[in-house]
Amino acid sequence: MMKKVKKLVNDFSLGELRTGLKVTSKEFVNKKITVQFPEERTPISPRFRGLHALRRYPNGEERCIACKLCEAVCPANAITIDSEMREDGTRRTTQYDIDLFKCIFCGFCEEACPVDAIVETHIFDYAFESREGSVIDKKGLLEIGDKNESAINKAREEDSKYR
Amino acid sequence: MSEIEIEIDGNLVKAKQGDSIIKIADREGIEVPRFCYHKKLSVAANCRMCLVDVEGAPKAQPACSTPVANGMKVHTKNDKAKFAQKAVMEFLLINHPLDCPICDQGGECELQDVAMEYGSDVSKFNEGKRIVPDKGIGALIQTDMTRCIHCTRCVRFGAEVAGIVEMGGTGRGEGVKIEPFLTEGIQSELSGNMIDVCPVGALTSKPFRYEARTWQMNAVPSVARHDLVGSNIITQSYRGKVKRVVARDNDSINETWISDRDRFSYEGLSHESRALKPKVKIDGEWQEVEWQEALDFTIDGIKNNAKNPEQLGVLASKYSSLEEYFLMQKLARSFGSDNIDFRIDQSDLSDGGSLESSITLSEIESIDHALIVGSYTRLEQPMINHRIRKAVLNGASVNTINSKQFDFNFNTELDLLSAPQKILSTLHAILKSLHLKIGTDVPKYLSKVIPDDVHNKIADDLIASKNGVIVLGEHLNSNPSSSAITNLIFQIAQITDLKIANLMLSGNSHAAERVGFMPTKNGMNAISMFNENTRVFMLMDVDCDYDFINLQSAADCFNNEDVFVVSMSSFENESLHTNANVILPMASYYEASGTHINFDGLVQSFSASVKSPGDSKPGWKIIKVLADLLELEGFDYINSTQVKDEALQSSKLKSSFDDVNAEIDDSQITTHWQYAPYATDSVSRRAKALQESNIGMINSAFVSKSTAKRLDINGDDLYLGVPVSITDAVAEDYVFVHTNQARRVEGG
Repeated sequence: MMKKVKKLVNDFSLGELRTGLKVTSKEFVNKKITVQFPEERTPISPRFRGLHALRRYPNGEERCIACKLCEAVCPANAITIDSEMREDGTRRTTQYDIDLFKCIFCGFCEEACPVDAIVETHIFDYAFESREGSVIDKKGLLEIGDKNESAINKAREEDSKYR
Repeated sequence: MSEIEIEIDGNLVKAKQGDSIIKIADREGIEVPRFCYHKKLSVAANCRMCLVDVEGAPKAQPACSTPVANGMKVHTKNDKAKFAQKAVMEFLLINHPLDCPICDQGGECELQDVAMEYGSDVSKFNEGKRIVPDKGIGALIQTDMTRCIHCTRCVRFGAEVAGIVEMGGTGRGEGVKIEPFLTEGIQSELSGNMIDVCPVGALTSKPFRYEARTWQMNAVPSVARHDLVGSNIITQSYRGKVKRVVARDNDSINETWISDRDRFSYEGLSHESRALKPKVKIDGEWQEVEWQEALDFTIDGIKNNAKNPEQLGVLASKYSSLEEYFLMQKLARSFGSDNIDFRIDQSDLSDGGSLESSITLSEIESIDHALIVGSYTRLEQPMINHRIRKAVLNGASVNTINSKQFDFNFNTELDLLSAPQKILSTLHAILKSLHLKIGTDVPKYLSKVIPDDVHNKIADDLIASKNGVIVLGEHLNSNPSSSAITNLIFQIAQITDLKIANLMLSGNSHAAERVGFMPTKNGMNAISMFNENTRVFMLMDVDCDYDFINLQSAADCFNNEDVFVVSMSSFENESLHTNANVILPMASYYEASGTHINFDGLVQSFSASVKSPGDSKPGWKIIKVLADLLELEGFDYINSTQVKDEALQSSKLKSSFDDVNAEIDDSQITTHWQYAPYATDSVSRRAKALQESNIGMINSAFVSKSTAKRLDINGDDLYLGVPVSITDAVAEDYVFVHTNQARRVEGG
């Protein structure tokens, strides 16, 4: 009986509307947290796993040695590598493809890499213009690496104390 | 030896007195880590990885060199054993580089596997690691001696199995290096096995370097087809291409070894000259066409050019499969022609084929005497030679009758040098000597023969032998009186009650003989076929540059305008383009299922390891379709197993041989063109690394001093395009051309 009366009073005095308006008015004066993407960006953890990149050593030599451990560990079979003996006798890739449609961004490739060649950057806002565009080849991956080397380096450094 | 009982890890097991602990443990499936121990090599006990705890012994004992004793209690996994094994592992890892990601052994490395179990995750060693500079050891084996853990398996393999002491440990202590003593590289026909025995990545395959990782490859058991042994192998392919061939254990055939030819020939499969699309020659121009068009063109050509069925001639090399031989001869015989032959490199076909051997491969190991006639078995039949070598190490004696003194890897007692034209008279003398010694009647034709001391010694050895073998080699093929020679040898074997190992025709020739791939009634053979009565030729895997004994008569015949030549081939070359009218691309080794027959009659089937490249098709399928299009009956096969079953059921066609009594003028200088071992078949000829190896580069015309004078040639001349080498180790009145080049001119 009491419950029914309480509900009637609440309904006729627009109780729920008031509760809602309370939140609205509170947020109206609070500090805004909406981010104006892409002009503004949310902070990202140094461990964030985004688009892949192949890195180089400071002297410009590519790091990847075609050991194919990333290919072996990849749970989605997204990586395809072909290797050869380069003229100077070192082991290098002739092909390094990642299919981003297959990739599940688990980061195993990065974990497996003995020379920190394949890494996942903080880039997540990328798009393809064609279906085939989902496969990035060695050249593309190295370009991403070259462009973002400082960011990649910084993220590794920030994370290094927890590794 | 008496049976005893020991206890390993709490299990009571039976053992033979004198066996090592590791042997018993292996038999019982108890894992003991090891590096230097190899079941086929002697015990070195230098890696110390197999230390186990033997109750009563104060220290851990090496399982590989500790013989078992009655009541012995062994623990392979208790604290004492584990502690010892881990300590050894730590020492081994001190100097081993951490380059597994770029090491070709990575993934199949014994050190990697054992380190996973016994290695520590952190190294206590902070000093500098040892670095060993590499000395190259040839085109086949890649060395990274920094990775070497000094197990000496390769050294022992060289000394004990290959019979070459070319590798060894030099230096002392920290400075020990395993290296070749010579700079020319390892000169062995079995050198590739060093790769297999190496437990780490110090010795890896050079052609395979950085091609693929071991875990990526698709391994298919197969059978090698280069020689008469059909070594069991595993082909490893990656993305549809054979990337590596390794040995498969089979104690009755190849034990754990395979020859370099079997191991490295796969490179030829991806040679640029592969025939990938059917081609037809129209008005002298080659055109790539679809299969249907090529087949129609072939059928039209056969029907238009062969006015009657007997104008069809069928030739094949020695390296096709049983199925291909069977279907091809069935096609020819159904068509109405008996002109079939595979003995295209034999100069004397008057005996109808007698390839039979009366000894099996494993029996060779226990012979007490061998007489080798016309063969450098070491390079030509490496696995058979290995068995002979084993017999020699057990005390057997070997005599040879060769035209040149060869570098066998065992000691021979007596090397009789005899030019091909004199081998017949030599054998006559031996036969007469045998008759005289045994006391049987000497046949009339031997009345004028006078045996000398050497002949008597050979005859003595043959008579003294209880369990000997006479080996006929492939040098007899090109001998103009080869039929008479085989005949004589069979007679000698009969008189002395010895066995015969007939190694005259290599490859899969025994399969060809089994299905009757040669004229049986009155058909023409590989020599008599080249005349105006043959208007259509079907060639199977024949290389017109290399294979024919008489290249000129073959080419003349093929180039005749109204002769139609169908070539089923895996490779194309200039001479094929000149000679053929149609090229039907055929699957090569490892690309089609088939059957190989060993010299002792052992039948081994294998399946395809990879798909044949381009539009090429398995040979048996091509022949089946051709037969269907020719409207021949009885070619309703669905798979190659049906073909094989029918081929093996069909009765073996036997033909008797006549008593040939060849009269030869033996004063003339003869030339013997012997292909180097890696130039025998179309695939090995195109295998790059094999050709760059020391044995692959064999290219010399050996001639004695006096013969050189008679021929008026010097040491720096070329003889038929081959560099001359003047030596005493070759018979007089004779030039032995041992080369990887195509045959130029026939003997005489």
